[in-house]
Amino acid sequence: MSGLIQQLNNIGIPQENIIKVTFYLIAAVTCFFALRIVISRNVFHRALFLALTLIGVACVYLYLGAEYLAVMQILIYVGAIVALFVFVIMLTTKIQNRAIRQLNSQVLISVVVTSALLCLLISIIRTSPWHKPVLPPAGLLNISQLGRSLALNYVLPFEVVSLILLAALVGAIAIGKAKKE
Amino acid sequence: MIPESHFLILGAILFSIGLFGALTQRSIIGILMSIELILNAACINFVVFDKFLGNSDGLGQIFVLLVIAIAAATLVVGLALVIAVYRSSKTVSAEDINLMKW
Repeated sequence: MSGLIQQLNNIGIPQENIIKVTFYLIAAVTCFFALRIVISRNVFHRALFLALTLIGVACVYLYLGAEYLAVMQILIYVGAIVALFVFVIMLTTKIQNRAIRQLNSQVLISVVVTSALLCLLISIIRTSPWHKPVLPPAGLLNISQLGRSLALNYVLPFEVVSLILLAALVGAIAIGKAKKE
Repeated sequence: MIPESHFLILGAILFSIGLFGALTQRSIIGILMSIELILNAACINFVVFDKFLGNSDGLGQIFVLLVIAIAAATLVVGLALVIAVYRSSKTVSAEDINLMKW
């Protein structure tokens, strides 16, 4: 990858432009796949589009310098959650049945409301001045700093999350268990 | 470099698509997928603010880790509920499930 960037640098394309072009490409593809999740008719295809969208979000994390989060995103979301979705879809729906209507009767008003909300959000983002922090940004945060921060300063939410995971495990088994005859 | 507002706009677009999905899907599985999209959009915003406006302790990235864990937990319980509902009423359409209504 870095060799390719070096070669492109030699022809005269600066690295800045490569980063920008690839970012906007990845963002556009991610939005396209996210739209396909919502409007696609086949439920099984939606799970696959969800996986692609989550991989796109992981790439965006890489652009933000959060490599650990990108790896965790792919491991947990794409590896576990999408697999779970696929299993549940295979257990509950007939995936050959393509002609099912997937959207309900509120499509029109939902389009209006969400596009209005999107315009509002974009105008707010574009007009608000982002205050620079008091402390200078420390550059890239490496994994050991992240781990130290998680284990020293924010250890209480970490423990609470482990409790939530235990409760979810017990709850999922209790709810999903078949009743005895 | 890429300005922070472009990352935030990407997050806003993903949030809107997820909200549209959560409002219009007929199957519970589709609604859960849309909720995952909404959570991802929020996570992008956390990482952006951590990089551009935060100090060096990485609170934004820790928040994203916690959000991923909690999203996994809620999703597991939600999909177990989907299977339980399917077992009792043979459907996953949110419009047909009215066991607790009447």
